[in-house]
Amino acid sequence: MAFDIDSSAIFPIGAATRTTPQIAARKSYDVVIVGGGVSGSILADQLSQAGHSAVIVEAGPGKDVQLDEYEAYLSRFYAASVKDNQAPYPFNPNARMPRSADAMPVTPQTPDDQYYIVQDGPFCTDTTFTRVLGGTTMHWEGKALRMLPEDFDTASRFGHGRDWPLGYDDIEPYYRQAEQELGVSADVEDQRYLGMTFPPGYVYPMRKMPLSYLDQVVARGVDGMRVDLDGDRYDLRIRSFPQARNGVPNPDYDGGKGYQPIGAISTYQVEEGKRCQGNNNCVPICPVQAKYHAGKTLAKALRTGKVDIVTQAVASRVHVDKESGRISGIEYKRYQDPSSPEHTTHTVHGRVYVLAANAIENARLMLASGLPSTSDLVGRNLMDHAYLLRWALLPEIAGTFRGTNCTGGITELRGGRFRERQAGFAVDIHNDGWGWATGSPYSDLLAIVDGQRKHGRDLRAALVSQLSRQLLLAFMIEVAPEPANRVTVDRRYRDPLGNLKPVISFRVPEYSLAGASFGFDLAGQIFTRLGAEDHTTYDPRDYSYVEYAGRGYSIRGGNHLAGTHVMGKTRHDSVTDPAQRSWDHENLFLVGGGSMPTIGTSNITLTLAALAYRSASFIDTQLRTEKAPAVISAR
Amino acid sequence: MENRLDQFVRLSALLTGFAPLHLLGTGMAETYLRATDAALPDGVLDELLDAGSLPSAGSAPPTGSAVPGAPAQPGGSALAGGADPDAAAGQAIFGDAKLGPVARALILLWYRGAWTALPQEWRSAYGASPRDVDHVVSAEAYQAGLQWDAAGAHPAGARQQGYGAWASPPAALETESAPGTTGVRLPRQAGAPSVTEGARS
Repeated sequence: MAFDIDSSAIFPIGAATRTTPQIAARKSYDVVIVGGGVSGSILADQLSQAGHSAVIVEAGPGKDVQLDEYEAYLSRFYAASVKDNQAPYPFNPNARMPRSADAMPVTPQTPDDQYYIVQDGPFCTDTTFTRVLGGTTMHWEGKALRMLPEDFDTASRFGHGRDWPLGYDDIEPYYRQAEQELGVSADVEDQRYLGMTFPPGYVYPMRKMPLSYLDQVVARGVDGMRVDLDGDRYDLRIRSFPQARNGVPNPDYDGGKGYQPIGAISTYQVEEGKRCQGNNNCVPICPVQAKYHAGKTLAKALRTGKVDIVTQAVASRVHVDKESGRISGIEYKRYQDPSSPEHTTHTVHGRVYVLAANAIENARLMLASGLPSTSDLVGRNLMDHAYLLRWALLPEIAGTFRGTNCTGGITELRGGRFRERQAGFAVDIHNDGWGWATGSPYSDLLAIVDGQRKHGRDLRAALVSQLSRQLLLAFMIEVAPEPANRVTVDRRYRDPLGNLKPVISFRVPEYSLAGASFGFDLAGQIFTRLGAEDHTTYDPRDYSYVEYAGRGYSIRGGNHLAGTHVMGKTRHDSVTDPAQRSWDHENLFLVGGGSMPTIGTSNITLTLAALAYRSASFIDTQLRTEKAPAVISAR
Repeated sequence: MENRLDQFVRLSALLTGFAPLHLLGTGMAETYLRATDAALPDGVLDELLDAGSLPSAGSAPPTGSAVPGAPAQPGGSALAGGADPDAAAGQAIFGDAKLGPVARALILLWYRGAWTALPQEWRSAYGASPRDVDHVVSAEAYQAGLQWDAAGAHPAGARQQGYGAWASPPAALETESAPGTTGVRLPRQAGAPSVTEGARS
């Protein structure tokens, strides 16, 4: 067939604009969801498939996502001078996004708190999240690692962090559901390490992504490298990462039924995206939508006809009934024009309410609404992976700047007894060279043209030598929860709509810095084995510069935000129960990374997607119970 | 007589190390000529073009294409021969206080698809155009950036090499290891605009 549209995948035309705030205000929904990202989309999909009605309140724009908005994101990226991880997404002061260049201290004495996140220090994080329909999955890289079994009880096991009220085996079935929805490419044989188990016969939806040539060059130095640590022996090897990106479908998937990848959901590029093309642009946007983004799940949800969306609607207050503690409505501010603070205020009502706006925004909204919290843990235990970068020039051309952003790395040191003393980490080999650390390739070009005054063939020779040999190792280091690392609000800091902005107090725990220090030395050993020339420097003037044990490091944020409404076993030591239901408000669910008591060494999206699937079944049950005809017993 | 676009492409070839055909193949030559004119005070680009047309600058052999496998260049074209530049001519331009910074901005334009504002001292000495500000010329210009081709790669987000191509050795490796080759000769990247599609002159 020349033009085969899998219509179930296309974002339904007009679906994002068919509801007005006035219409939405008159309805009573089964579920009100704040945030159209991955958690909100999964819940909208699951609950609408089960027959429930839902409305999504989304802060960002989303009026044309089915047609040209994705293309507009791409064009904006191409034409942007600064290609950071928010470059494709329009500047919108009413739903402002943090950007990595925004990391600077803000105090009440600072003349203007010009950025969205108010940094209360002592560490300034350059973490970001994306406030458009689809949320941060629009810009995420797509790594889809499961957490290790030992990550769920690190407090008991290692004396660091918090224990989950759930274990690996409780979440495993939901991991499989998330791997199906996100479309994960990996081989089980590669992922069966450090205790991770899979049911007999399970295969991932698609085969693993091939390791890049750069990975293969690094593997020549790393494979077989032995590390002895606290009585455990590790034989390192370069391993392919599971990725939520379309690869070659595994015919053995689902008992031999195979897997149908979902590509682009916008009509203009409908035939693209069913397989990754190696654009090396996963972050900030996949040009062909081969990478999963939440719009794919949202499209399915919208096709049920039971889901409404109100976009350009920034949730500003959660209303609570003081008697029952139940939530009675979500108030939001609707703006017509992103460049104007003019807005109208509306409220939506439902039986069950879900905050799915990410760990910082969920906490910000709860705190700005003044909701009571028995545990006093709302906003506390903020976590994000700490990234340590170390970079070098390989002695040979390695073909850097090709492939997906990252195909392989080292994962053995994610777990083990050493975690009693120092954090675990996963190591990424960056196919996009030194870009994250130095601004390559532009910084290199400038140095060669303006600095070394090269032109013509000398310039070309210098550039290929400088770029194609780049190796950047990124250590994604575990950060354990600490109550003092937190999100708060402060009435002095408001956005243009008058909403309170998030204030972040954060320091990188010593436990993580001990891991960083070990990683720094390990990278040095790897460079030596490869004959690579170290080019790492950290600038002490960097706001994200920290000192530990006599050395200084720049620590980058991973945008893996978690912990601000941790789940637990009792209302006194956690914000939600294991279903992500608020202990204090029985019809309120707080979903996403915020519920995670620890983040281990896994990029959080796969786990929070699994948790969303798990919560969907509890919400469905709760709705059915509440909808059931009341039985009035005659006395 | 050589027209201004030909002159511009020949100078660009000398500065960038890419053959005129490759530059024309990007489809950006006319756009960049306009962008450069707009970013400079009147007459400055003509001075640079004249400097690039001096006998020493045109002495490079016409076989110096940096694009092996590209179709033969049109016989007798004034465009032939710029890709193996006489280093002396280039150095003369680079060493010139007025033309050097402009030549470097022109290289950056071709390599990035973006104009880079000239140094403030230069603007004070020779005049400033309102368009002399850092800017990406267009979405297409970013995708046509030569820095990626020079590195044996492709622009992040465009002209990708296809599923799994990243697992194979880069093209740059094949050419570099070939005995007897001088300089860096890169085969045309898959997906690059062809000359017939992209040429605009």
